[in-house]
Amino acid sequence: MAAKRPRGLTFEERVARLEEIASELDTETVDLAKALSLFEEGIEHLRSAAAELATAEATVQKLVERADGTFGVTDAE
Amino acid sequence: MPSYVSSATYPGETAEAAIAVSTLTETARDILEGAFIPIWVRGEITDFKAHRNGHWYFCLRDTASQIRCVVWNRDQRRIPAPPDDGMLVAAFGRLTVYPARGEMQFTIVRIEAEGDGLRRKALEVTRSRLAADGLLAPERKRALPRFPRVIAVVTSPDGAALHDIVAVIRRRRANVRLVVVPAAVQGDGAPDELCYALDQVNRWRGADLVIVSRGGGSREDMWAFNNERVARALAACYAPTISAVGHEVDLSICDLVADHRAPTPSAAAETATHSQVELEIELRRAAHRLNASIAAKFAAERDHLRHAARDLVAAGVRQTSVRRASIERISGRLHALSPLATMARGYSVARGNDGRALTSIDQFTPEMPFDLVLRDGTVPAKAWPRSDPAV
Repeated sequence: MAAKRPRGLTFEERVARLEEIASELDTETVDLAKALSLFEEGIEHLRSAAAELATAEATVQKLVERADGTFGVTDAE
Repeated sequence: MPSYVSSATYPGETAEAAIAVSTLTETARDILEGAFIPIWVRGEITDFKAHRNGHWYFCLRDTASQIRCVVWNRDQRRIPAPPDDGMLVAAFGRLTVYPARGEMQFTIVRIEAEGDGLRRKALEVTRSRLAADGLLAPERKRALPRFPRVIAVVTSPDGAALHDIVAVIRRRRANVRLVVVPAAVQGDGAPDELCYALDQVNRWRGADLVIVSRGGGSREDMWAFNNERVARALAACYAPTISAVGHEVDLSICDLVADHRAPTPSAAAETATHSQVELEIELRRAAHRLNASIAAKFAAERDHLRHAARDLVAAGVRQTSVRRASIERISGRLHALSPLATMARGYSVARGNDGRALTSIDQFTPEMPFDLVLRDGTVPAKAWPRSDPAV
């Protein structure tokens, strides 16, 4: 699959991409240059995911339906 | 007619003062309704009919008596299922008179069947209808997202369930956003509100996991989660669903329809989210795998290189030995032709001072020194005066 940009992914997508990268590295057809670029991408995902975890905090909000049928969320507390 | 009226002291006292039938029945109704507050009556159901106008008609009887009963369409929502003939029930209602027939009628708003028969019947009916539509099939169950980002929680905003769920995700420092979609979780309006909330979730589409939940309570309190419309709304949810209604022992129709059943609201939160520690472990695992994979890749490349080097050396050795073999072949032939080989067999060669072979007697003069070359060395020699070959 085409390499995704590391930014803007969810934690789950990052972990999934990391698994994908590891599997790709495990195939014999990947040449060394490609393997290195995959590895670098993986490291970037690891860093971003770890940074996201470090600031993780559960938030609680409430769904609000507006008169025009669109939705918004407000803080629950 | 004024004279009739004036002769009677109350309506109906005399033939002249006779009252209309409807006056009689309506008066009787007023008196009956005034005399009886709403009460529970025990009896057996007979002649049950669900009329096409939506109302239920039947009789309640015991060994000696019976009374006609009605449940108006609008009052049926509090009754889990229509009763069957032969069921022993307690019915709550008000005694009245049906003026059109001049009959006593018990207008019922609640029915409790012996052995919870109505609820069991309702559950069986709902369950079989959902099963017939394939909504309970195990292959319909979807896997829950491993790391949900946004979880919609359909529940009462003031209920114990939400409190428990929030407490769990806070304690676990789960990397998640809870979005509460408020709905009444008990009472007459609960099924409608739950359906509406689930419909909102479906139109919003902002969550990647949906939890429907309420805390423990009486069976009646939790009845909305056995409602067929609620179950169908839950089944229609675009995202995977967790049902967490009441306590471990409470099993609702929603539990059967949801992709995952959690025994309690807290358990739903535990199932849905990972703690920060778990996520860190997950990341470390991913990092380890990545490192192992790149290391394996390098090892494989090194192996390739090593193999290539070995192949190269082997090829060199092969080429050398081929050449060596041909050199040996040629040297064999040379050896066979060499005069040294002849000398090895016992012959010798005479050589002059100039190193040329002396191959004829004409090349010798008396007293001429020459070398005699033998197999294992050279012997200095001198020619003697030649005897006449003719002699």
